[in-house]
Amino acid sequence: MNIASIKSQFPIFKQQTPLGKELVYLDTASSAQKPQSVIDAISGFYSGYYANTGRGSYWPAHKATTTFESVREKVARYINVQSKDQVVFTSGTTDSINKLVNAHVIHSLESGDQVLVSEMEHHANLVPWQEACKLKEANIKAIPINEEGEIDFEALELLLKAKTAFVSITAISNVLGTVNDVSRITALAHKAGAKVFVDAAQAIAHKTVDVKTWKADFLAFSAHKLYGPTGVGILYMADDLVNQIKPLSFGGGMITEVGIEESGYRKGPQRHEAGTQNIAGVIGLGAAIDFVDTLPEFELHNHLNELTSLAYELLSEIQGVNILGPEERAGVISFTVEGIHPHDLSTFFNEQGVCIRAGHHCAQPLMNKYKVPATARVSFGIYNSKEDVMTFIKVLKETKAFFE
Amino acid sequence: MNERIKGLYQEHILKKSKDETFKGVLQNETHRLEAYNPMCGDKYTISMSIENDVIQDARFDGFGCAISKASTALLTEIVIGKSVEEIKPIVENFLELVDEHGKREPEEIFEDDQLLAFAAAREFPERKTCASLSWDELKLLVDTH
Repeated sequence: MNIASIKSQFPIFKQQTPLGKELVYLDTASSAQKPQSVIDAISGFYSGYYANTGRGSYWPAHKATTTFESVREKVARYINVQSKDQVVFTSGTTDSINKLVNAHVIHSLESGDQVLVSEMEHHANLVPWQEACKLKEANIKAIPINEEGEIDFEALELLLKAKTAFVSITAISNVLGTVNDVSRITALAHKAGAKVFVDAAQAIAHKTVDVKTWKADFLAFSAHKLYGPTGVGILYMADDLVNQIKPLSFGGGMITEVGIEESGYRKGPQRHEAGTQNIAGVIGLGAAIDFVDTLPEFELHNHLNELTSLAYELLSEIQGVNILGPEERAGVISFTVEGIHPHDLSTFFNEQGVCIRAGHHCAQPLMNKYKVPATARVSFGIYNSKEDVMTFIKVLKETKAFFE
Repeated sequence: MNERIKGLYQEHILKKSKDETFKGVLQNETHRLEAYNPMCGDKYTISMSIENDVIQDARFDGFGCAISKASTALLTEIVIGKSVEEIKPIVENFLELVDEHGKREPEEIFEDDQLLAFAAAREFPERKTCASLSWDELKLLVDTH
């Protein structure tokens, strides 16, 4: 795979930073940069065939609707689900979880039920469940992780002895890079009668999301972590849940017949998509999937793994650097440097054109577990090269020298 | 970052961030500032005893980056022995110093190098809240006292 040619498809790298440096972007786990094809698809829609979807019977509306709906098929194929009608568009992973919780979870939870999350969840996959549990007097518990940052399966089996309604788990940790064995978790949860929600926000860019194998009941991801636009994502629902659960939101486009006191709701994913959708966003998501489809799966994995291993190895050699989580990981490394706060690190990296992330990464319970207030984090995308890793290590050494 | 400010940053902010002279909690505390940035997790408490509108003593505790720690340590050191009225203009000046849109040049605001070092925050607008975290809380106190 020719990384230089892939990188050249991302216009942001054609310019220098305000301080005259090459941009080294190491925060793809937060949000990925966009290739020209995604940007063109969005502006192509606005300038070429803009109209609302599912309503007008004139040509731009028809083209907009067909293009919009074709993305549903692309998503269905990309995450390997049975039918495109199980894919509902939302504004992102966080929105998907909130909507699912509000429309479905709070109606199906019973007092005393248990909801399981893991200690490595992003706040987005924790706080909405917490609120639902408070409302329904249900118990939220965390599946512990071991020293290496991996799910403790013995503890999970013990926890599942209590009546559990939902298990909600991330496929890949945004802090530790841990790749969870989702199939094993769903098998255990289903045996105990619980439904499983999978947060695929991090996993989606790794081309490893496989709903059929995982047997997830619900799954969500955001387009912006897949080189697509912000403000759009999906919620997948297994079997016929799309038609069984209450609509995620109410309004135009999701109804059959409307009276003053009663209304009927459509079948299919449109049942949940009230109001004008983020049409440009969905079309951009389609272009993002097309872009990722051009990257051979095996080489994509190899490339990200190589960068991660190289960074891990070089980081481990630096005195005073402590890496969180397992050695086997997907594209993300969180670390601390003795005596230097992560925010001070990221400021110095910024001076050299290197974007790294500092903070609690929306995972405060995990920070508490590792007893650190914050960490620095680097994460890799398809446009990163070995040179980026070397620059990162060089700047880290310089910053250490400055602070010593 | 201009070389002089960079020099001041290295000399004063790093030094101050390790200065624990006024670290702790006062037994006879009358007022307490809680400075917390939920976005990054930096968290400080400043314990003060105020009598007759004069800050008799102060201590700080907490954790965060070098800039927030140094600015909190310096704040604590500066307020001790001053009246609320005396502190008001210092707070205003400090908040202007760290603001990239501040009207005056840093050197027109303060002469003291320890304070001037925080003008580095003008170069990193995303770090302004680190420098102003505790000072914003102090402003609330002096404005309402």
